[in-house]
Amino acid sequence: MSTAPPPDAPAGIAAEPARVEEPPFRVPRDRADLHVFLQAALTLEHLTIPPYLTAMYTLRPGTNRPAFYAIRAVVLEEMLHMTLVANLLNAVGGTPLVARSRFVTGYPALLPYSRDKVPVALRHFGTDALDTFLSIERPEYVAEPPGHPSVAGDTGWTSIGQFYNTIRAGLVRLTAELGEAGLFNGDRRRQAGPEDFYNSGGEVFPVTGLASALTALRVITEQGEGVSHSVFDSDDLLFGEAREPAHYFRFNEIRRRRAYGPHDTPASGPTGPAIEVSWEDAYAIDPAAKVADYPPGSAVRRAAEHFNEAYARLLCLLERAYTRDPAALHAAVPAMLRLRELSVQLYRNPHPDPARRARGLHASATYEITEELLGRVRRSLR
Amino acid sequence: MSPAPRHGRARYDVIVVGAGLSGSLVAKELGDKGWRVLVLEAGTGTLGSWPGHLGALDTYYAALAKVPNSPYRPNAAAPSPDVLDLTGLPSGGYRSHGYFLQQGPLPYGSDYLRAGGGTVLHWLGLTPRMHPEDFRTRRTYGYGRDWPIGYDDLEPHYRAAERALGVAGDAAEQADAIGLPFPDGYVYPMRAIPRSYVDDVFASRLDGAAVRETPGAPATTLRVVGVPHARNGTPDPRYDGGRGYRPVGAAGLPNYGERCVGNASCVPICPVQAKYTPLKTQASWDRRRVRLLTQAVVSRVLADGTGRALGVEYLEYEDPAAPAPTTRTAEADIVVLAAHAIENARLLLVSGLGNHSDQVGRNLMDHPVLLGWGLLDHPVGPFRGPASTAGLECFRTGPARRSRSPFRIEISNWGWSWPEGSPGSDVARLLGMGADPAQPRGKGLFGPRLRAALGREIGRQVSVQFLMEQEAEERNRVTVDRRRPDRLGIPRPVLTYDLSDRVKSGMAAAKAVSDQIFRLLDAEDRTAYGPGPLSPGWFRFEGRDFTFNGAGHGGGTHVMGDAPGTSVVDSWQRCWDHPNLYAVGCGSMPSMGTSNPSLTMAALALRSSERIHRDLTAAHRPAAVGPQEGRP
Amino acid sequence: MTPKTSTSARSLDDFLTASAALTGFGAFDLHGTGMAGLYHRTALEQVGGPAVGRFLDALDAAGGDPDGITDETARDIARAIAHMWYLGVWPQLAAPVHTALGRERANTAFTVSPEAYTEGLVWRTFDGHPAGAKPPGFGTWADPPPGAPAVPRAGERTSGLPGPREAGP
Repeated sequence: MSTAPPPDAPAGIAAEPARVEEPPFRVPRDRADLHVFLQAALTLEHLTIPPYLTAMYTLRPGTNRPAFYAIRAVVLEEMLHMTLVANLLNAVGGTPLVARSRFVTGYPALLPYSRDKVPVALRHFGTDALDTFLSIERPEYVAEPPGHPSVAGDTGWTSIGQFYNTIRAGLVRLTAELGEAGLFNGDRRRQAGPEDFYNSGGEVFPVTGLASALTALRVITEQGEGVSHSVFDSDDLLFGEAREPAHYFRFNEIRRRRAYGPHDTPASGPTGPAIEVSWEDAYAIDPAAKVADYPPGSAVRRAAEHFNEAYARLLCLLERAYTRDPAALHAAVPAMLRLRELSVQLYRNPHPDPARRARGLHASATYEITEELLGRVRRSLR
Repeated sequence: MSPAPRHGRARYDVIVVGAGLSGSLVAKELGDKGWRVLVLEAGTGTLGSWPGHLGALDTYYAALAKVPNSPYRPNAAAPSPDVLDLTGLPSGGYRSHGYFLQQGPLPYGSDYLRAGGGTVLHWLGLTPRMHPEDFRTRRTYGYGRDWPIGYDDLEPHYRAAERALGVAGDAAEQADAIGLPFPDGYVYPMRAIPRSYVDDVFASRLDGAAVRETPGAPATTLRVVGVPHARNGTPDPRYDGGRGYRPVGAAGLPNYGERCVGNASCVPICPVQAKYTPLKTQASWDRRRVRLLTQAVVSRVLADGTGRALGVEYLEYEDPAAPAPTTRTAEADIVVLAAHAIENARLLLVSGLGNHSDQVGRNLMDHPVLLGWGLLDHPVGPFRGPASTAGLECFRTGPARRSRSPFRIEISNWGWSWPEGSPGSDVARLLGMGADPAQPRGKGLFGPRLRAALGREIGRQVSVQFLMEQEAEERNRVTVDRRRPDRLGIPRPVLTYDLSDRVKSGMAAAKAVSDQIFRLLDAEDRTAYGPGPLSPGWFRFEGRDFTFNGAGHGGGTHVMGDAPGTSVVDSWQRCWDHPNLYAVGCGSMPSMGTSNPSLTMAALALRSSERIHRDLTAAHRPAAVGPQEGRP
Repeated sequence: MTPKTSTSARSLDDFLTASAALTGFGAFDLHGTGMAGLYHRTALEQVGGPAVGRFLDALDAAGGDPDGITDETARDIARAIAHMWYLGVWPQLAAPVHTALGRERANTAFTVSPEAYTEGLVWRTFDGHPAGAKPPGFGTWADPPPGAPAVPRAGERTSGLPGPREAGP
């Protein structure tokens, strides 16, 4: 089998990457501050979902199944993380906002809370996409929260893990200051539970106090980066599920085309059985594509606009679920599955621009959200 | 580290023949209690791995006829019957050309699957309990055979089975609409699977309406009722005294299949494994005690002169396409046959065991199914969700049973897939293509007109299935023909099968009800029965045409009873003639009522496991093995 | 591994234009199945390039309307291609057409590939999804399909239950 990459996408992305607004480099001081941090965490958890979906749905039908299942499992866990962060924010009296144009970064974006300048773009399945995912999920040395003597010289965030540790520190500190009942004073009816969101990859549980809040943070960080220098996550401890490699290691299995064995460590790398991956069996796309690239009135343009509407609809449903009625999550899963149908049709169509088509590029879903679009979709949902 | 099973020494506490529903549950229960169990599976174990499962899914996608066995590869060493083995003849009658030798007036129209996981791999997943009345039709209505136990005896085991399989349902509705007794406050592990839009349309037009089986007969009031499923849905936090329930995901892929996503292919394969399969139970076996040997066809049960079963002789093979078997034996204190009703009977007959009563192989039953289909006056969204999420339960019980078989009506969510092979047949028909390429073809529709016509017609398809109770009859039987062996030299099953006038009268009543249902629905009734290649189950009765299908619910062939002279097994499914030989499964059932039988079969298997444990405990103590450790 | 595009873009475009006329689905939808190249190759393999060419010519001569195709061989190829798009199955050709084409292969139906089944267009004609693939999510089967009226859900019929009605004669 050939290992040649698909026809090359533009190596450099011309546009300046979007920047996600990061909270100030400090431990949250009060409730309002904590709300800002948790809203930022929600934005962060969402940021990775469109790139993961793009890689998953650009696979050619019937190919790369191990990769499909690996990415799918990660996406489901990211959705779980989003919902757990929303529960956290609700628990401390905040209001999770997702149907906002600022919530959706625009791609490519710079990976926030990171020392390195990692652009996160909507790329087709391939080595570039996997390398980006590895950068996102990489378990690295996690610095102490701001204020700790060891980071006295730092002026900004150095890792996502540090950001979450800071939230953890803020929760502990504010619980001590305000009392547990004082801090966790949110409306319990807004808490999503397993009956609202139940799918593979752990389960949603209500956050009602410090213990469940810390468990939620543990799920979010350990499913992503692994348990203290192990390849595996802690689903077996937290949910009674089978142990699995954490996100980073699952992506690394695909990137290296080899599975981790039971005795492998982060240092050993994967030494288990080979995994079938064919990089060429993906529809190549332009990572900087915008709807405006497609000729007005064309079928591709209509489909790309339709996709963004469906995406806006998903965000509106999530916001409804997080701010009013957790049961609306039932409708969010079908809305997400609808994105699959609409996006795969785009990826399978040649790019309408003859030049890009000649380079083997295909049309793609752009995940562009505007206030105007959200307003229109929100009205249609009423 | 605890001692591993000693594979070199072929001696076990229990040998279980068959890794299907019953066998997997028995092995689970006994392994968990510390007994050393050998499970011998005739078919392959490939479906237990995720790549094997995906291979089956691809085979299903590529199959032209998406029949229940279509995802599962043929196996020359352990052949399975297939519904495609039967062909109807142009003017009635049928031809059988598969694994079964059929010689009855009517064909036995059901298949099963000989592979690890068993026939339940392609079950629909419905788990209605039997009605208390179903256990005593002889005493109450003067027909069929009574069970030596009743609903109350089985009730705790029904609950255990509902936990083992993971059932979603509404117990209050089952109690209210069907009259099923549950303990106070009982809830299923998961909340009811939502009923379909099709069900809602039926309910809006049928609920409260009265129908009569014949003019002047008493009226029966219709009510659409949800059905319990062994299918992952929304866990009920009230279950188990508030401890709740955690759905069991796919076997072979972590974190998958923990909720039905509506693939609408439960039969023949659930892509995400949200539906229970025995592979899930096998995944929880304590493998230090339960050893599974696949590709091992049991050819004979071995017994000594006193009637004690000693073990089994089995044929191990490597290549399912060209088997070259090696004969081996294994010994155990107790042998449990769990190989399907027909295979259990075949094994007993081949071994010359258990047949003092002359009942082995007799009383073969199924749920003969009559179909009705039509077009509604607006789109109903067919081919969505589980095959059936609700039915009409009002013809399952009552005095009408004195004269005709009762029936349960399943509302289908899958259009005309069963009666007409939709949607493939619709495309071919509108393109002008008949089944026979030698016949002249019609002009055919193309383009937007084709697209619109397909949408208009398929989108309005509705169908109903009438599952008839079939009473035990000695003449319906399985025998074996030593002159007609399979590839491994084991005599093949010979089936003699017919429908009684009681069943046929039930079908006549069902058809009358069907006619009224379609009128109440304001649907265009397209039901039509006639002979032809796709209608091996066609017959005429009282001047009218009928075509029936098999439901895959074979039972009765090692019937349970209260006396050794008239039955094969006792209420524990233990052979009267052999105190340490059990035959478990639907074959033990003296009657099957109108309930899909898997749940009852599971309840019986769990009940028998308790008895086997007591038998073994009386003879030995369990092996001292520590608690099961976490997986590596 | 076979190349993804073994034929020139020009002939695939012709095949897609004809396929759009046969199926009533536009080129975007046809590309959207991911099956365009495979189906084009399958048609060429099954009846040969010349016969596919004569079918395309016959369709052109009919002004792009398949109803206007008079030649029975071209018409049966039209049926087969439409059948393939709708179901993912290459069908048996009419026996006389099979003979007339002198095909050196059995006249048997087959599913072009496992994915071809899941990409069948027939499911989309009634806003459905292929049985066994592209699941729409838990509970979606309870929603009215497009064009269908809302009806009461289970448990909503608290009042206004119709009294006993008879089904009529």
